[in-house]
Order: sequence, then structure tokens, then C-alpha cells
Amino acid sequence: MNILDIGGSQLDSSWFLLLGAILFTLGTVGVLIRRNPLVILICIELMLNAVNLTLITFSRQLQNPEGQLFALMVMTVAAAEAVVGLAILVDIFRVRDVEDVDDLSELKG
Amino acid sequence: MLSLVVVMIALSILFLLLSAQFVFVAQIIVYAGAVMVLFLFVIALLGPARESGRGRLRFQPWAAGLFAVVFLILTWTMLQGVHYRQPDPQVNLDVFGTVQWIGVELFTRYLYPFELTSILLLVAAIGAIYLSRREIDDR
Repeated sequence: MNILDIGGSQLDSSWFLLLGAILFTLGTVGVLIRRNPLVILICIELMLNAVNLTLITFSRQLQNPEGQLFALMVMTVAAAEAVVGLAILVDIFRVRDVEDVDDLSELKG
Repeated sequence: MLSLVVVMIALSILFLLLSAQFVFVAQIIVYAGAVMVLFLFVIALLGPARESGRGRLRFQPWAAGLFAVVFLILTWTMLQGVHYRQPDPQVNLDVFGTVQWIGVELFTRYLYPFELTSILLLVAAIGAIYLSRREIDDR
């Protein structure tokens, strides 16, 4: 049922889903344990890419256009997020010297 | 940084394998092109990444590793339990994912989210310009 026919050869679509899950978990671990804000942004990009892979796999599985179109939307949101996040980061680094994200704790009550 | 580019390009080839040609090209242009260049510019501006060894939370890596294992098992079990319905038989796989097909879908049925995307990009551009402006001396 979840066997895909790609170019005449059979491929189980679970491998794509497993790769997406592994990439998403790697991105989550990166966000959790790294302290450089730049690396955290890169890990968020990795997580969004993993979600894209899962969406396109399901789109191919169900032969439904909405998965691919939603993947394009996710790509746009990821680009916008990278732009705004990096702008905020540059602004922070210009004002003061920040070693890692633990230094950005002014909002802590 | 280079490894991230490799991951992006490999993912785009997987998209091509899943007959999503337009998303393949968009992935290469947007990620391997635009976003990576943006990150490289910021790294060149701020200097190389300094990762301090000290941590405020001693147990943070171990907790993150435990979370990763649990999360991966959970996700994998969830994906194993998915039951797929039959795909629509009228879809022609020769045109599935081509630029023409994506364009027709995007400008007819999904026009509203497409326009919302343009507004989102406009807001992001204005926000980036505002955040990266230079302080003008008040005179």
C-alpha cells in the first residue's frame, strides 16, 4: 500500500518518512543543546526542511497537489524567518557583544 | 556550513525522486542559493561562530539526548500506524509536479494562500530593512 513506483522500480515510502523524522530530531537536538544563535537558526531551517520532505512524500503517496503547494509555502515562511531572524541577530550583535543565547535574558522575570 | 548545503541539495534530489520538479528547483534556488548566502554574509559580518564550552545547565545535553530518542521513537511509531487511502486515480503522473501543473493549481484553486504569501514576503522585507537601518543622527 505504501510502496511507491519510481521510474519502474519499487520503493517503500516509509524510508522518506524515517529520514524526515531523523532530520527533524537532529534539528530539535541542535536547538536544544547549541548556544550560538546562528546555529540555532540553521537548525530551525533543518527542521523546516524535514517537514517539507514529509509533506512531499505524502503528496506523492496520495497523488494530491496540496502537499507540494504547502511545501512551497513552508519554504517561503522559512526564507522570511531566516531574513528577519538574521536581521534581529545582526542588530543585537551590533549593539553589544553577546557570547551566546544565555546572555539574552532581559525578559526573564 | 558546507555540510548544510550538501544536505539541502540531497533533499532536493529526493524531492525530484518524489516527482516534485518545481519544488526541487525552488529548493535549490531558495536554500542552496539565497538562504545559505544570507547565512554566509552574517557569518562574515559577525566573525566565525564562537561556541563557549560552559553551560548554565549541566544536564542539558543529556536531557536533550533523552528527548531525542523518545521523540524519534514516538514519531516513527506514529508514522508506522498511518493508513493511507487510495490515491485519486485520475491524476496523471506525467504532469504531477511540473511547473505548468503547479502554476495552474496555484493560480486557480490556491490563489488566496498564494496572495497571502506575497504579503508575508512584503512584511518580512520591510521588517528586515527596518531592523538593519543605520541610526540617523537627530538634528
